[in-house]
Parts: sequence; structure tokens; C-alpha cells
Amino acid sequence: MSATAKLTAVESKLLVREPGSLFTVVIPLFVLIVFGSSIGPDDTTLLPMTIAIAIGLVGLYLMPTALATYREKGILRRLSTTPVRPASLLVVQLILQFVLALASCGALLAVAGTVLGARLPANALTFIAVFVLGTASMFAIGLLIAALAPSGRAANGIGVLLYFPMAYLAGLMQPVSQMPAILVRIGEFTPLGAFRQSLQDVWEGTAPDPVLLGVMAAYAVVVSIAAARFFRWE
Amino acid sequence: MPVIDVTEVTKRYAGRTVLDGITFSVEEGEIFGILGPNGTGKTTTVEIIEGLRAADSGSVRVLGLDPITDGRRLKEFIGVQLQHTDLPDNLKVWEALDLYASFYEDPRDWRELLVEWGLDDLRNVRFAKLSGGQKQRLIIALALVGNPRVAFLDELTTGLDPQARRATWELIKQIRATGVTVVLVSHFMDEVEELCDRVAVFSQGRIVAIDTPAELINGVDAEHSMRFSLASDAAEEILDLIRRVPGVASVQRNGAVVTVSGRSDFATAVTSVLAREHVVVTDLRIDKRTLDDAFVALTGREFDV
Repeated sequence: MSATAKLTAVESKLLVREPGSLFTVVIPLFVLIVFGSSIGPDDTTLLPMTIAIAIGLVGLYLMPTALATYREKGILRRLSTTPVRPASLLVVQLILQFVLALASCGALLAVAGTVLGARLPANALTFIAVFVLGTASMFAIGLLIAALAPSGRAANGIGVLLYFPMAYLAGLMQPVSQMPAILVRIGEFTPLGAFRQSLQDVWEGTAPDPVLLGVMAAYAVVVSIAAARFFRWE
Repeated sequence: MPVIDVTEVTKRYAGRTVLDGITFSVEEGEIFGILGPNGTGKTTTVEIIEGLRAADSGSVRVLGLDPITDGRRLKEFIGVQLQHTDLPDNLKVWEALDLYASFYEDPRDWRELLVEWGLDDLRNVRFAKLSGGQKQRLIIALALVGNPRVAFLDELTTGLDPQARRATWELIKQIRATGVTVVLVSHFMDEVEELCDRVAVFSQGRIVAIDTPAELINGVDAEHSMRFSLASDAAEEILDLIRRVPGVASVQRNGAVVTVSGRSDFATAVTSVLAREHVVVTDLRIDKRTLDDAFVALTGREFDV
């Protein structure tokens, strides 16, 4: 097996063994099931909320903690003494974290579509575009946390600290209909808020607001560049 | 041709000179020690040889390759154990070896290494569950899994208990027995004395001596002492005879116990005087000079770590 294939296989095992991975799948599912019993078949709020929760947890918490821990433990530096580039490990990690985000989202859609009989997005293509854009913007923030955090523990702390205000502004703690208008407006300029609102647009069958898509794209590009700029290998 | 050739290497960090004209070479099959207190440029030197850092000036060749421009090629032939490296907590012993073996074109069979390094019973144990000594054995095995011609071991017994340290030393001797050249970075005198064929003594970014541990110790004419107990009827004159032995600096008597201090090979001369005069002594003890004495003499300061 080639080094990259082996690295992917081993990193997949490690991701599955990490309890945090399970949480990022289980927590949104739990929210979906608890509130899912009281939603009507026309609900367009709950699934966008739970998908945004799932992506927020992977991007802000799981991914930066994994990457910062690898640097803290000297694993990236150790790799740079072998014929394999340490960047390969980062690429493999990013791909696997994206697969985990997909799996979490897939589980939500499957449970919602079968057990709960909830509405699924009519336009799959728009949904995929919004999903990719939203995930990219959240991963960019995760990469920046990984770049700046001195240790895995610190990355974890920053991630958790950022998650709650972002989740609140994004309307993940309570539906936006029950929030002050000004906070909802501010939330639309955060990546998680733009993501949830775009998803809701998709669920309602309307085209997502281009401003929201622009917000996500801007975060994805600008924050990724900052992360690359500040990233340290050791 | 030497395996490693370092010539006039300098390195500065933020205006501070870390390495100031380092020159040495390492021959094939030897265990070469890099000795010195922390912060004297040992690790920087090794990192430059491994291609992890670039020297500001000077030249470095490892197996005839430049570690920076031929870095990727060179990394096929070297094995590295870094100070402060861990593995992911949930990685199992066999998975780590299997993974690192896949990085190299011509790796060793990692199953053999499992057996050689006493890890076979631990193959399915996760890294976080290993003891300090077991982790260290795995980390060293990982440095060897690429079938390297040169292995770099940096402070490998720091934090190990005495028994695990001894055991690790035996394993290092095994590495040499397989023909792998070993560069051993250490701040432990006993370790270097026990393992190394030759040693470069670092002090403040310079090499102050390169020699075998025995020659380094012999080359130092530090005062040392011997002690013995005289039988109670021994004549006082014997002490005067001892005082006249070449190299003896002082003779002190405290009851039956006599302490003689001196330089170079005075102890042998004193014992032959005692034998010639038929003086019976008991509890004879000669303080061995050690690499610690050599270090103090070479660098003019105590070896504080």
C-alpha cells in the first residue's frame, strides 16, 4: 500500500476511535430526534439547524483540536524527518473531517426522511452547493484556530468558546423567529448564520440569498489565507 | 568517506550565535556522541544534519548528500528519534510500525522489529497505554523501520528509570551490531561513556574536544584521590615516603584512614610503594576519574543540566 493510502487508512481508524467524532454525529441527531417529534411535515427550520450544528462542531471543535494536537505532540515534525511530507497528513485530515461532516449530515437526512417523515430539500444541487460552501467557511475558521492555538487543549478551548456565541447568533440555540431582529441580522454575517439561513432558503424552495453565499465564500477564502499565513509546523 | 561530514557550520537565531564554527565527521558503523549541557547547540546541530534546519554558513554532507537540496533522497537513509515526540494516543504499536514502514522505499520488516525490541506482546496496545520505557522502545524502533544507514537518537533516556535506561543502552549496542551508524545526543555522561566510540564535547556553540571517552578522561589531569586504612602498628615514616611519590599533592591522616590526593598516575605509584615497604592496608579505594572531570576541565565549568 502506498504511504498516502496507509496514512488515510490509519487516520480513519484514529478518527473513529476518537470519542469526539461520535459526539459530533450524535449531538445533532439527538437534537433532531428530541425536537423532531413536535414538527409538522412542512417544517423548514429543524433540519437546517441540526445540519449547521453538525458542521459547526466538526469545524470549530473536532478538526482544530486534531490538527493542533498533531503539532503539539511533534507528529508533524517527526513526519518531516521521513520521505513523507507533513502536509500530506494535513490534507488527509481535512478530507477525513469532510467525510465525517458528510456522514453526520447523511445520518440527519436519513433519520429525518424515514423515521420523522420530514421535508427534504427539493433542489439537491443547490443543497450540495450550500453545504460545500458552508463547510468550507467553517473549516477555514477551524484551520485558523489550529494555526494559532499553542496546543490541542487550547484549540479545543477556543473552539468551544467560539462555538456558543456563533451558534447563538446563527439561530442554533433557538429559532430565529424568536430572536431579536438585530441579532438575526448580525448572525447572517457570520459563517454559521449564513449557512443556516441559506439551508433554510433551500428547504423553503427558494434560491439562497447571494449575499449569504458571498459571506460564506468570503470567510472560506480570507480566513483560509490567514490560517496558511499563521500556520506553524512546530 | 565519512558518513557525516560537517565543516565550519554556523547558525544564529535572532542575533544570538547558537553554533559557532562546528566541524566534525562521523565514520561508518560507530556510535558518535554529541555531549554537552542543554542549550549548547547539540539539537540544532543534529537538526541541521537531518535537514530540518538550514545552516547559515558552512557545509554539511550526509552519505554524500546535501541535507537541504537532497533532503527527500537523504530521508530514505536516515532514521530519527526526536526529543519530545509522541504518537497519537489511540495508535496501536503495530499500526505505528506498519505506517512508518510504508513511508520508505526499502523498509525493514516491522514484524521483526516488534520481536527485536520486545514489543511483540504489546502489538495491539495503544500508545497512550504504554509505559515510558515501552514508548521509548517503540519510538526507537520507528527510527529503524526505514532500514536507515544512520540513526539519530536525541536524549533518548531522559525521563526513564535507571533500569529502563540500562535496558535501552543494551538496545543501542544492538543497533551498532547491525552496522547502522548511530549519532547519540545526550547530556548524560554515564550514557556517553558507556555507549560511544567517539564523543564531540559541545560548550556554548563550539566543539571543545573530539575523542574516545577513555582518551578524553585520560587527557584530563584533574586532581583525584585514593583512600586506605593503615594497620595500627604502621610506622609514620610510610606517609613521608608517599609524600615523595611523583604526582602526589597531599597526604592526610585521620586515625587509621589515609587520604592521598594527586594528579596523573600517582595511585599506581603509591600502591607499589606500599607493596615494596610491606605495609598492609585495607579498604583501598581509588576514585576513578570520569567524563564529568573531563568535561569540567575542557569547558572550565561545572556540568550543570
